[in-house]
Amino acid sequence: MSARGTTPQTPPVPVETDVLVHLEDVVKHFPVRSSSLLRRNVGYVHAVDGVTLDVYRGETLGLVGESGCGKSTLARCITRLHDVTSGRIELNGTDVTNLSRRQLQPFRREMQMIFQDPFGSLNPRRRVGSIIGDPFAIHGIVSGAERKKAVQDLMSQVGLNPEHYNRFPADFSGGQRQRIGVARALALKPKLIVCDEPVSALDVSIQAQVINLLLELQREYSLTYVFIAHDLGLVQRISTRVAVMYLGQVIEVAAGEDLGSHPRHPYSAALLSASPIADPDAAAKRERLVLRGDVPSPISPPPACRFHPRCPKAEAICREQAPPLVSLPGDDEAHLVACHFPLADGERLAYRDAEPEQATA
Amino acid sequence: MSVGPEMSELVEEAIAPAGQTPRGIEGRSPWQLAWERLRHDKVAIASAVTIVLIVLMAICAPLVAKIVGHGPNTQYSFGTSDSGLPVGPSSKFLFGADELGRDVFVRVFYGARISLLAGVVASLLAVAAGVIIGLLAGYLGRIVDTVLSRFMDVVLSMPYLIFAIALVSVVGPSLSVSIAVIAFFSFAAVGRVVRGQVLSLSQREFVEAARSLGAGPIRIMFVDILPNVLAQVIVYATLLVPAAIVFEATLSFFGLGVTPPTATWGGMIAEAQNYYQVAWWMLVMPSVFLLLLTLAFNLLGDSVRDAFDPRYTRTTAK
Repeated sequence: MSARGTTPQTPPVPVETDVLVHLEDVVKHFPVRSSSLLRRNVGYVHAVDGVTLDVYRGETLGLVGESGCGKSTLARCITRLHDVTSGRIELNGTDVTNLSRRQLQPFRREMQMIFQDPFGSLNPRRRVGSIIGDPFAIHGIVSGAERKKAVQDLMSQVGLNPEHYNRFPADFSGGQRQRIGVARALALKPKLIVCDEPVSALDVSIQAQVINLLLELQREYSLTYVFIAHDLGLVQRISTRVAVMYLGQVIEVAAGEDLGSHPRHPYSAALLSASPIADPDAAAKRERLVLRGDVPSPISPPPACRFHPRCPKAEAICREQAPPLVSLPGDDEAHLVACHFPLADGERLAYRDAEPEQATA
Repeated sequence: MSVGPEMSELVEEAIAPAGQTPRGIEGRSPWQLAWERLRHDKVAIASAVTIVLIVLMAICAPLVAKIVGHGPNTQYSFGTSDSGLPVGPSSKFLFGADELGRDVFVRVFYGARISLLAGVVASLLAVAAGVIIGLLAGYLGRIVDTVLSRFMDVVLSMPYLIFAIALVSVVGPSLSVSIAVIAFFSFAAVGRVVRGQVLSLSQREFVEAARSLGAGPIRIMFVDILPNVLAQVIVYATLLVPAAIVFEATLSFFGLGVTPPTATWGGMIAEAQNYYQVAWWMLVMPSVFLLLLTLAFNLLGDSVRDAFDPRYTRTTAK
């Protein structure tokens, strides 16, 4: 892969970390058009607004946040399904931000995507064999009987019966369909697979199977995953690092357990307090912070810190100055947070005017 | 999870040339399922048989002319009575004769050729143009969509008969002009249907998946999207054929289609206008065949639509 003369300006990468994907101030705005005949732009949805993030080789980067926070849009920006409004995307040190479809072709082999909807992501009118064989056909590699063999190998690898080569997606269950999607993503032996809520449409029992398959494949092929989900517990369990998004911005990045035990951003803490725990006693003891208000419209997001209208700790500065995403002194270097008033360990988060509940010592 | 010995055997069997029946259950395509349903649909079978018979009529027209011994455009003096009126059906003229003493029976056979040719060719042209324009407009969007959609709107709002009269007066009537006119005024309806389908299909994740694999717009339009609209297109095409046949008959009726001595059903009906009170056969014979053909195509179109509808199961009922 040729480096397209883009490396010098970027800050030096820490030696011990090998960056596979580098996102720099990625912005994606969708125009909102009026319904009149002229269809003038009346505003923009700030789906992704200035995300700077590195994905390290071999890791699983979890991406969490509530619906509409821009995680899927970010995923589609990484795989270049969307053109970014501004910012920079580097894959393996090469700037791929503005490459045309043809120029992008070799990079497509390095990054693949697994989609959320196992029903919508497979063409209902095509046989499974040709769906999984599509990557070979598009990239003009492996043809004829060899392709059939390769497809059937892929099918058995993801736990499908290779005999079912000639069946249609409608003949499979949701979990099996998602396996077809995995096989398709795996066909070109990519380095990076972006999983856009790959299991949220599946039954819980099937979820575990698909997750285990993904982990197994990761070990076997040293894959890098960007794993999007709204299930914080699941993401924490399988991710090397977790990035929390709110209204188009990454507000906290930390290792899975670190985020669980020491959330620094009030939003992460609220999100954690809302995720279900299997132990009813622990759940009863836990204090839940229910955020006030709704997520503001991404068409006109609040200035400065996006979270300030709902934040129990917001002060004047939060309305005026956007906090940078930095590592706090005393924290792990990989733990980044964008907050003026990060939570200390064990700090109780509550609205100031809220009735004091029985204070836990 | 490696491929075991029995597995690879199966793989080999699957790779083996077609003709051998593979073990296990074969996934059936929506086409195969539709075909299954169609085969068990009595109306569809009857319609198809009618269409095949009329196609045979068209093919055998010269043979019939030879057997009967009457040319399609030959005027027979014994075809008109002493008072100059056409003679009715008899052993000489099975369907009677027309006002010029031509054999209506033979002319109906020859008329089938024009009707089928115009109907099928014009429909095929219209469907091909409609599919391509609909795919381009729906998938590429933006300015392409605006231009093509407005163009289709203009075509749909044009008064086709006035246009046909104007065109014929410039280039002169002929079969190819009729076909061109019919195709031109039919493609826009197909194009609109296809565009609408494509618009919703291109939002589906499988199109995104194809894009993320690096597929280009041509491949996505024809490999990923087209198979999903084809069922609707086929239904529309089977319903377009009778419309085109009637369209051709209308053009012939107004003298804008095929030039006179050539037998067409529309032209024969037009000629019968002045004589139907004394010579009903001149009107009834071509009308009955026109009705039969269009009815058969329409019913077949309905059946095809039902066959492609997954919610509709009458395979087991009958």
